[in-house]
Amino acid sequence: MLAAACWAEVLRAQSQSPQFAWLDAPTAAEINAIACRIIPDDETPGADRAGVIWFIDRALAGYDQDKRELYQRGLRDLQAKRAAMFPGSASIAALSKDQQDQLLHATEKTDFFQMVRYHSILGFLCQPMYGGNRDQVGWKFLGLEYSMRYEPPFGYYDAQARAGTK
Amino acid sequence: MSATFRPSDPVDFVVVGAGAAGGVMAKELSTAGFRVVVLEQGPWRHEKDFTHDEVGVTLRGGMVNDQKKQPNTFRSTPNEKAVIRPAVGYCRTVGGGSVHFTANFWRFHPEDFHERSTLGPVPGADLADWPITYDDLEPYYTKAEWDLGVSGLAGSNPFDGPRSKPYPLPPMPVKSSGVLFETAAKKLGLHPFPAPVAVLSQPYKGRAACTHCGFCEAFGCEMGAKSSSLAAVIPAAVKTGKCEIRPDSYVRKIEVGKDGRVTGAIYFDSSGKEIFQRAKAVVVCANGAETPRLLLMSKSNLFPHGLANSHGNVGTRLMFDNGGYALAYFDHPLNEYKSIVVTRVLHDFYRSDPQRGFYGGAGLDARFDFLPAAFALDGMDPDSPQWGSEWKRTLGQYYTHMMGIMAHTSCLAVEQNSISLDDEVKDAWGLPAMRVTFKNHSDDIKALHFMADRQHEILAAAGAKKIWLTPGSLDGVTYSVHLMGTCRMGNDPATSVVDRNNRAHDVPNLYLVDGSSLVTCGRQQPTETIQALAYRTADHIQRAARRGEL
Repeated sequence: MLAAACWAEVLRAQSQSPQFAWLDAPTAAEINAIACRIIPDDETPGADRAGVIWFIDRALAGYDQDKRELYQRGLRDLQAKRAAMFPGSASIAALSKDQQDQLLHATEKTDFFQMVRYHSILGFLCQPMYGGNRDQVGWKFLGLEYSMRYEPPFGYYDAQARAGTK
Repeated sequence: MSATFRPSDPVDFVVVGAGAAGGVMAKELSTAGFRVVVLEQGPWRHEKDFTHDEVGVTLRGGMVNDQKKQPNTFRSTPNEKAVIRPAVGYCRTVGGGSVHFTANFWRFHPEDFHERSTLGPVPGADLADWPITYDDLEPYYTKAEWDLGVSGLAGSNPFDGPRSKPYPLPPMPVKSSGVLFETAAKKLGLHPFPAPVAVLSQPYKGRAACTHCGFCEAFGCEMGAKSSSLAAVIPAAVKTGKCEIRPDSYVRKIEVGKDGRVTGAIYFDSSGKEIFQRAKAVVVCANGAETPRLLLMSKSNLFPHGLANSHGNVGTRLMFDNGGYALAYFDHPLNEYKSIVVTRVLHDFYRSDPQRGFYGGAGLDARFDFLPAAFALDGMDPDSPQWGSEWKRTLGQYYTHMMGIMAHTSCLAVEQNSISLDDEVKDAWGLPAMRVTFKNHSDDIKALHFMADRQHEILAAAGAKKIWLTPGSLDGVTYSVHLMGTCRMGNDPATSVVDRNNRAHDVPNLYLVDGSSLVTCGRQQPTETIQALAYRTADHIQRAARRGEL
């Protein structure tokens, strides 16, 4: 079952990941850790379950190549900030969730954070063909039942109105 | 059956732009027996090419003008240095904006055509009467509705002008947003009505009815149920065997002969090769921003300041797509992601009321047109967190429980608001980039503020649990997808570019038909008026051609 596949675990276990088109596994693990604080996998699926990191990898390999430098520079700066805030820590992924949140709150105005937020949201809610929103977990989380065809009533209030006029 | 014409062989008409107006011109002229070449800068996408891809279509702008290849510069007043910054958006595809528009299909009101006479001058603006009346245009509004296929309920809007025929199709099924809006508006003594939309509620003329898939605004319809010119009229034009649609054709100049008459259009084909298509007459339907740009680029000895620009009016009086958007959260799911965007509208605040102390007003509609990622990115309450667990919980709770009210507000014509050619920046074809100068008149801003209170009142009366205005709703606009007013229609050549029949004052065989000829912009939703003008112009052209004038 794919739900058992936790990308964070997979990324930790792999020293390198040939499946990625552009990211290397250690970088992917760090970006994934950030994405997973932006859209946490809590009582409902989040960035990890949706495979957001795969969306980001494909975007950076493809149409968003011009964002690579922002990722490289941004991650370097974020690592410096992490080392300053949490001396002795090894990586973003290795921080506790509380520490990750502290680090990201301290840097949430940066272009890098805003770009990872942007990509994470796209990866969570895009058409699955982009590599994210696996099994449509993002859409299901919103309550969106994806179909090419719907019939009225569409929602609660129009259903009530129809019932009232019958 | 698609015709193929040799560029050196003069056709009767070259139509520049295959959009809302260009598609209508193509059909009307070719079915009348004329030979027509339509030059469209975008590709020819068909139903099978349309998708539900939010990333590709809306977030990455897959169907609209590419700001990298076609940059525009922007400044708010002529004293400033214009900088590269997107200010103008339009759909690059056969069918143009009618392919991806929301499909609101409103007639202008009778008073829209003579506001200057009724209201008097507005300081700082150039408010003028149209040279035609609602009654002149009414038969063509009706023709547009019946030719294209429009769903609505005649007589349901008490502020509408008289109609010679009802809508051909009944209204679309009401959505939850429409029910809440209608109930609340009636409670407040207002007059909501079923939205007239260019979407088929039932099969029509061999086209299938809407399946409520929810990807109307910004997308092309995969069912052909949206009454775009692509779905509704271009097939009939092609079928005549007298109309050739040439996609990927980027026009750079309208050529003029020694006698002052236009002789055709020069364009780049998809390989960048320059081609001169000869024609006996030219109809420019390139939209309210590209039409003036093309005229300004079409300099000649006879027209050193640009074609049809002997009085310097081309490009001036640009009007933008003003509006404010209030969002609200409700207890129960509305599921607004299903079906068309708008099912209820009201025009109670449309008319300009001098007692309010400013010119203008708005049409209001009930809608929630945020796609999932767009809502998560920046649609939520600005006071709520923007990421993390609490944000995510709110997102999940809100998305299906949201609706909004859009106020489509007035935009005054101001002479210095304009499209001109940039001195430095070029597009990917080496042509001068479009320079946009735009600043809202202060009355436009007052209208937004006035309407925001009305939007709030209705949402509160509907029982909303939380209401907020989207950012920028009170600021006016600096980016527009409705592009209007830049080649004004009028009787006086000193203050207008085209006459009452959309014929250029300066050039007898040149017609301009799109948003550029609009004298005022109503309360936005200009597409039906643009298309009615196209049907009317086509009638005039046929008569002029029969008289041997073209």
